[in-house]
Amino acid sequence: MNHIALKMLMGDRGKYLGIIMGLTFASLIMTQQPAIFVGLMSRSFSFISDLGLPDIWVMDPKVQFIDDVKPLQDTKLYRVRGVAGVKWAMPLYKGLLKARMADGTFQTCNVIGLDDATLIGGPPVMLEGKLEDLRRSDGVIVDIDGAIDKLAKPSKIKGGKPEPLKIGDTLELNDKRAIVVGIAKTTKTFQSQPVIYTTYSRAVRFAPRERKMLSFVLVKAMPGENIPLLTRRITESTGLAAYTQQEFKDLTWGYFMKNTGIPINFGISVTLGFIVGAAIAGQTFYNFTLENLRQFGVLKAMGTSNWTLLRMILLQAILVGLIGYGLGVGLTALFGYAMRNTIMAFKFPWQLLVFSGFGVTLICVFAALISIRKVIKLEPAIVFKG
Amino acid sequence: MLPKYTLPALAALGFAFGVFSVIRGNQPIPIAQPVAEPANSPFPSFIAGAGIVEAKSQNISVGTPLSGIIQQVTVKVGDKIKAGDILFRIDDREALAELGVRKANLAKAKAAVGEAEASVNDTRNMLELIEAVTDRRAISKEDLDRRRNAHTIAKARLESARAQVLQNEAELAATQTTLDRLVVHAPVAGEVLQVNIRPGEFAPASAGNTPLMVLGNLDQLHIRVDIDENDAWRFRKEGRAVAYLRGNRNFKTDLKLVWVEPYVIPKRSLTGDSTERVDTRVLQALYSFDRASMPAYVGQQMDVFIEAPDASATLPSMPKPGTAETRS
Repeated sequence: MNHIALKMLMGDRGKYLGIIMGLTFASLIMTQQPAIFVGLMSRSFSFISDLGLPDIWVMDPKVQFIDDVKPLQDTKLYRVRGVAGVKWAMPLYKGLLKARMADGTFQTCNVIGLDDATLIGGPPVMLEGKLEDLRRSDGVIVDIDGAIDKLAKPSKIKGGKPEPLKIGDTLELNDKRAIVVGIAKTTKTFQSQPVIYTTYSRAVRFAPRERKMLSFVLVKAMPGENIPLLTRRITESTGLAAYTQQEFKDLTWGYFMKNTGIPINFGISVTLGFIVGAAIAGQTFYNFTLENLRQFGVLKAMGTSNWTLLRMILLQAILVGLIGYGLGVGLTALFGYAMRNTIMAFKFPWQLLVFSGFGVTLICVFAALISIRKVIKLEPAIVFKG
Repeated sequence: MLPKYTLPALAALGFAFGVFSVIRGNQPIPIAQPVAEPANSPFPSFIAGAGIVEAKSQNISVGTPLSGIIQQVTVKVGDKIKAGDILFRIDDREALAELGVRKANLAKAKAAVGEAEASVNDTRNMLELIEAVTDRRAISKEDLDRRRNAHTIAKARLESARAQVLQNEAELAATQTTLDRLVVHAPVAGEVLQVNIRPGEFAPASAGNTPLMVLGNLDQLHIRVDIDENDAWRFRKEGRAVAYLRGNRNFKTDLKLVWVEPYVIPKRSLTGDSTERVDTRVLQALYSFDRASMPAYVGQQMDVFIEAPDASATLPSMPKPGTAETRS
């Protein structure tokens, strides 16, 4: 019987391809659009994920997301350091400063100041140079995307391609000299500004004068310390907000979800993909069942039970569903692979596989249901009519 | 045209590629390791503070009592000095010239004394001559009075001349003192930590931002620890304390409390803006440590941890503020 079902399905090439195309399209949209969405949103907290060493981030209680820096007094660092259960606490400066380029244009950069002695909070991957090189006078480390693109030097030939920033080149940060001592790879941030790493005291020197300079305090808990409890203890004894890495990510993500149109836009695309995919696949599948109604009638007249017929239709639905899903996922992965070196945000977590799988299953169940209804209601006598 | 297994195979391939990119795309980001391990507190409950190393004698900013052009700097940075050693000299030509004048004046005054003495002798002789005459009728009263007065005047002149000598001597001594003040001596034994003057530069006799010279006794170093005023209530004098060298936490030393500054001062901020408002005030505690235990330099920053009760602890027996040990 299964053999007959498959023959029936693949017999009509046009319809077979039509159903699979519909499902592939639905699966593609339901995987690729959320992947872009997830990619875009994870950029909002990519700086937090890049900085994996500390367990806890301490900041002003009014901070809403990672780029919303509300600086603290310098002595707060020592107050946090004095909370029981804290292994170490390090200062981190994060701010937007203007870099003046060789050709006179200005570029806003994300300047990160690391603790002078330990350099905790450095970039995850160093492509050229070492993190220790930051100890050299006026040293800064620039991220590769910034070095190639936004901070690149204008070409010596008119109209030529700009030259990427190299080790030893100088920058001008707020009228102060900075020398590139390393190139790092960082995850792209939401605003895609170049990231410049330097030491805390140097960052403070680069930054315009302010009464308070300390952006964040990075905290590592003692081994075996209950981290949620420690965050509460820090908040109680210092009056500052303390978040675990995941909480701070959620805070940032939540801010973007609430205050930008991104989730609505992508939600609409995904829903449309689902509806169009369901419509095409469902309609074609239904059409295909209608066309094969005669055959089903014959089978029924020959005494095949409703249950067997139901199984046949389910088999057909599962097969096209699997093929469509596989192709859609493959195309999404191919898309992601093709776009891996572009500015495009794309992130493909395993949850998306489940999500689109669930979507395709829904479409198939819907398509199979309307067909099954038709077949079960079918009178075998119809075969002999007309 | 389309073999039966093409599409399923393609689909399987696509799904496999999808799974592959999920695995490849979600590898955890490597964690940047610190260049130097940060210092950890050895105590379960503690106050953390920034410490700065200073000389036991504190760092003495040497000043000059008189303004002037530097003539000679007799010490170098790092020189060991004894109390009273000459540090630098200020241009003394004017004072030397004055000294010459004063000396000449003194010589002149001394000569005047001799002259006055001779005059006294002369008048005394004249007086004695006439007083030796026994027959009063042989001399006139006028002559006697004249000679007597002349002798009295001569004696008064001698006194005046002697007083003049004293005055000139005092003036000479004053000039000598000025001359001495143009040479600056070391007030205590120690080491020269910083020299900010060179011959030919002007040394003002006022408190400037940069000291002319910094001295300190490096036999024993102290660490001055800043404690946030919000944490000051937790500070206990009997609490143990350790300091770690920045950049290498393997250098660790136990600290001994020397004294606590009884006055809480505004924290010096890094931005250096003169219009800055005061954020926080800090309690300063001074600790001593064994110099052999770590290669520390004066002026270097340290991470200091002081054992203290937990912030959530119940109110302890109140330490009396203001009874801090006075300076040893």
